[in-house]
Amino acid sequence: MRYLIKHGSIIDPAQRVATIGDILIENGKVVQVFDLAEMAPENEALGENIEVINALGCVVAPGFTDLHTHLREPGEEHKEQIATGTLAAARGGFTTICAMPNTNPPHDRAAVIRQVRQIARREGHVRVDIIGAITIGRQGQTLTEMAELVEAGCIAFSDDGSPVQDPTVMRNALTYASMLGVPIMSHCEETRLNAGWAMHEGVVSTRLGLPGYPAAAEETQIARDIALAELTGAHLHICHVSTAGGVALIRHAKQRGVRVTAEVTPHHLTLTDRWVLGSLAAFDPEIPPPEPVRTTGNRRGRKKAESVQHGLGIRSWLDPRILPPYDTSTRVSPPLRGEEDLEALIEGLRDGTIDAIATDHAPHARVDKECEYGLAACGISGLETALGLVLTLVHRGEMDLVHIAAKLTEGPAQVLGRAPATLHPGARADVVVFDPDHPWTVDTAHFASRGKNSPLQGQQLKGQVMLTMSGGVIVFRRGDFGKDIRTIRHASRLDGILSGE
Amino acid sequence: MQLQTSATQNAESNQERRRHVFDLDDFSRAEIEEVLDTTESMKEILSREIKQVPTLRGKTIVNMFFEESTRTRISFELAARSLSAGVINFSGRGTSVEKGESLVDTVRTLQSLGADVLVIRHSQSGTPYLVAQHFQGSVINAGDGCHAHPTQALLDLFTIREKLGHIDQLKVVIIGDILHSRVARSNLWGLTKMGARVTLCAPPTLFGAARFWQAAWPTINISYNLDEALDGADVIMALRLQKERQQAGLLPSLREYSRFFALTDERLDYARDHALVMHPGPMNEGVEIMPEVALSSHSVISDQVANGVAVRMALLYLFTT
Repeated sequence: MRYLIKHGSIIDPAQRVATIGDILIENGKVVQVFDLAEMAPENEALGENIEVINALGCVVAPGFTDLHTHLREPGEEHKEQIATGTLAAARGGFTTICAMPNTNPPHDRAAVIRQVRQIARREGHVRVDIIGAITIGRQGQTLTEMAELVEAGCIAFSDDGSPVQDPTVMRNALTYASMLGVPIMSHCEETRLNAGWAMHEGVVSTRLGLPGYPAAAEETQIARDIALAELTGAHLHICHVSTAGGVALIRHAKQRGVRVTAEVTPHHLTLTDRWVLGSLAAFDPEIPPPEPVRTTGNRRGRKKAESVQHGLGIRSWLDPRILPPYDTSTRVSPPLRGEEDLEALIEGLRDGTIDAIATDHAPHARVDKECEYGLAACGISGLETALGLVLTLVHRGEMDLVHIAAKLTEGPAQVLGRAPATLHPGARADVVVFDPDHPWTVDTAHFASRGKNSPLQGQQLKGQVMLTMSGGVIVFRRGDFGKDIRTIRHASRLDGILSGE
Repeated sequence: MQLQTSATQNAESNQERRRHVFDLDDFSRAEIEEVLDTTESMKEILSREIKQVPTLRGKTIVNMFFEESTRTRISFELAARSLSAGVINFSGRGTSVEKGESLVDTVRTLQSLGADVLVIRHSQSGTPYLVAQHFQGSVINAGDGCHAHPTQALLDLFTIREKLGHIDQLKVVIIGDILHSRVARSNLWGLTKMGARVTLCAPPTLFGAARFWQAAWPTINISYNLDEALDGADVIMALRLQKERQQAGLLPSLREYSRFFALTDERLDYARDHALVMHPGPMNEGVEIMPEVALSSHSVISDQVANGVAVRMALLYLFTT
């Protein structure tokens, strides 16, 4: 099948290209990109067997890569399966996802890696890469057979939720992995500093009487791992940095030339510990009333002016007050942090300290979350809201669209040492088409993911994926998106969202 | 602090009665005063020869105590019986998850069995909010983790008002394990709303981080010196110090804690002559409070216990009928 995606606003961060034009896709590859000046010829000239997709007003970008996904299979199929998780990824615009090893059995031997890859090939909707465990059973003691795991297809190593506490084990892991040319992805948490934690340690935890996870518990571990990366010369990747201090440590390390990269989640970029207050935030005088989502006048110049009026206490039109207090959907590791952390994360993303946006998609069953706050499982089902969340940064004027797209495409590819996904002719046709202005209300009942655990239930987001293509095959399409081609025939003037950039 | 919201306005104009008592953070001053006034009427009932009125006849109140408690449970039971309600005591050991049965399932079961009011004590902060999401009747928080103990705070407020005539402008000093104290947190809301000047006094390890307390309740003072803190105090509340705090490394020794932070006869001299000494119980005599202080003429500890029944009657009467 051949496709012509017409009149989209093409963003190709790898090529530093942002233009309006058409993309021709054939045999699973991008064949040609026509920009505004030389629009593709009409269908007749392109011959038979071609579908035209009207992407007018939408962004067309390389498919996103998620460095941090929990697929739960094998072992916890009631929470997620490779089939449902990869469909959720496709709905979120992701064409490559990296599966974390927190499964049962974990990704600690070649047989498990081969099994997961086989299921992914058979049932997956998008490409699945495998992250191996650093230690056997993720116990933090004995290194896995890393070379064999890389041979079996692992692209990185992590013990994620069970961070390696012994510094010598971490040193050896980094040193050994440097031979294999793959990063160690470190979930940085000094577990002796946050025993029994339920949420970020701060004013809100003090008020709610919940045991805190101090920022220092993340920062001390980041500092340790950076020192070890410096010692070993290995590539260290910091997972889901969540604190201002962590961002500063990574920034300084990069300035010194340490091989360190970092990711941040959409929820840490947009939500704070105030979300645990839920409706009790109504009794906090600092929060201004929420702004309604504007559905008209959606040109960027105006939006910028409006967005700066938002108070810092509430992120955009997202409103924690529709949640009950202590809602377990807000429990996540690392926890939602304070306002100053959030500001530092955005700044880190802007200045290049943070390389990639990664979802830490962590689906859970209802029973894991329908319980007391301190006993609830940690995690947010994030693949299907990731784009809508990070676009709030664009709508508030804090980041531009090209930059955000780069952190979802080029950034993660660089972390993995890969050529960045691109829309250059000859590239594999992993493509996402999204409408950055489309307002929608999050309803977890419609998630493809089995995990309905999201604090965003009922929130309005702006920006939604319309179509996702993996290797030239449409793996997700919202309704009849792009099938009505009448408008493009008559489009006399294109004023896409890139005007004024 | 500005706390005007539609919820409190509703409560003030009596258009919509609250159904649950989670904490005092969403109570207005007028609402607290209404509870205290009603408590006086209830106290009168308790002084009668027949200490019972038929107000809640036919209602079923379930005391769900997932944590050890003698006085609070008995106090709620007496309050319910004085209002002629049926009382069922349900004591679960440990948490629902540990038992393998979900708390929410238990609540749904009690709903189906026809319970009207759930009184809940639980070791996990925030649990009453979860219970209320799955229960159509009223939920009253009898203490949740380190979060809140609103009935204790209300009985403390009532006792202060009863003894000193008012709460506004009084200097109240709360001493001890602030970090883990639900009593301290609920009293901070209640006392600051009623216009008291509150000083918290403890070694810094029993605050976690003092700046967070200052940010959460901006009008309070924080002190690490008990003699100074007690200067001119009208009310002194000592909190129970759990021995585990020392084992967790928060204190060098109980001996040192007692030397610098126990309420002694000598230290009482710094306070005003009419100063009240309060303690939510159970006491560790010789650790946070000396026996002679607990038994002195300043002590209103037994009044607190007695007033607890009347306060709980007032809450049941006001919010569950």
